[in-house]
Amino acid sequence: MTPNGAVLFVVILIVAAMLADLPGLVVICAVAAAFAVLETRENAWSALRRAALLVLPLAAFMLAIWVGLIGKSPLEIESGLPGSRTSALLYVATVSLRLFLIVFVLQAVLLCFADESPFSVIRSLRAPLGVKRLLVLTLSLIETLRHAVGRSHMALVASGVITRRLSLRNLGHGWILIQSVWLTAITTVLGRLRDKWPAENTLALLEPALAQQERPMCARDRVWHLVALAAALFVFGRLILGTA
Amino acid sequence: MFTTPRLIAIALCAALNFAVGAVVYLVKLPIYMESIGTILCAMLIFPDRWAAFVCALIAGLASVAVIGLLVNPFLPWFSLTVLAIALISAFVTATGDGVYRARPPQLLAFVVRVVLFGVLTGVVAAIVSAPVVAYLFGGVTGSGSAFLVAFFLKTGETLMRSVLWSGLTADPIDKVLQVLIAALLFRATPAEFIAMVRGVPAKA
Repeated sequence: MTPNGAVLFVVILIVAAMLADLPGLVVICAVAAAFAVLETRENAWSALRRAALLVLPLAAFMLAIWVGLIGKSPLEIESGLPGSRTSALLYVATVSLRLFLIVFVLQAVLLCFADESPFSVIRSLRAPLGVKRLLVLTLSLIETLRHAVGRSHMALVASGVITRRLSLRNLGHGWILIQSVWLTAITTVLGRLRDKWPAENTLALLEPALAQQERPMCARDRVWHLVALAAALFVFGRLILGTA
Repeated sequence: MFTTPRLIAIALCAALNFAVGAVVYLVKLPIYMESIGTILCAMLIFPDRWAAFVCALIAGLASVAVIGLLVNPFLPWFSLTVLAIALISAFVTATGDGVYRARPPQLLAFVVRVVLFGVLTGVVAAIVSAPVVAYLFGGVTGSGSAFLVAFFLKTGETLMRSVLWSGLTADPIDKVLQVLIAALLFRATPAEFIAMVRGVPAKA
């Protein structure tokens, strides 16, 4: 699958998931699972694990709130019905499955490109040059800031300004860490803008590098788009029938 | 509108939104702080309000896209909230730029503006994000505010109203802190960088 095809596939499935009821979500789940097995392959487990790690605690929390505390679904609350824990459970299952699907589809698609660098993925996207340039600069500065966070954190812990664990001192002085990171980043950026980039001609070289190698969608992309569209049609069909 | 220094400022503020998440995790504070870069971007580019709005919005959306792909896949659903925060930051919060950088500091004026603009940002953010929290998350986002939602639901309110009341209770506090940190960072930013971003000669 190409990055451009992946973007469209994710959009179709997520829009469908947003509108789907429980049977619709099951169909989308089947499409996502097939995609993960055939395209993401050995990384499918990582996608599944990551989605489960993100959604399971939230689902447990939702279960405690909706089934344990409230004991009825939002629809029953709005219509003033007595309600039951079963309908609350069904509601939590639908919301949790929808969230799980969104995370899983994103992760599965993202992991298809695990062997490629972010720069090559961005370069192959069919997007305006300005957007690509901004994404590359943001990713590059994120790395700069991450290094700054590590260094500043270590320095401030060593000097006793903040602590490693949750503390009142962190509440009062935590912002010093943010300020320290910001000033490090500004100093780096000023140096790059004034001296480093003009010497390397970085910005002038970045534009042609990003403009090249846009990868057009392939036949495999089209097949997955058709499968995703079929799932979306099933969801819309149920939606229209349900409204009628 | 998009000069090279502004493009760098947008990318830097987007990266700051990302990095602050890491800082919050490191100092183990129970807060979000996901919009400091967006608010700061508007302050850096003000007084050109439309440019400040557009650049803050792009910084916010870029960070939402990157954080959404790498860390938190639920964040992109709050893109409309990012738009609202960029709008308030560019047209309201950034108007206090003279007070934020005043030397010696005008403490009372600084505090009044930070609290007022923070509460306003929080109220708007709560209203805009309520439908997403209610529909996508069923009112439960994993934070402590879920208990507030549960409390309001128990009192007989609908899900939408419960989420809205919960947001109106919790968001202003979070956003006051974010405006405060953005204003302090703006104050600490070298004048040379601000002049470069605004496209004006640097003041001493």
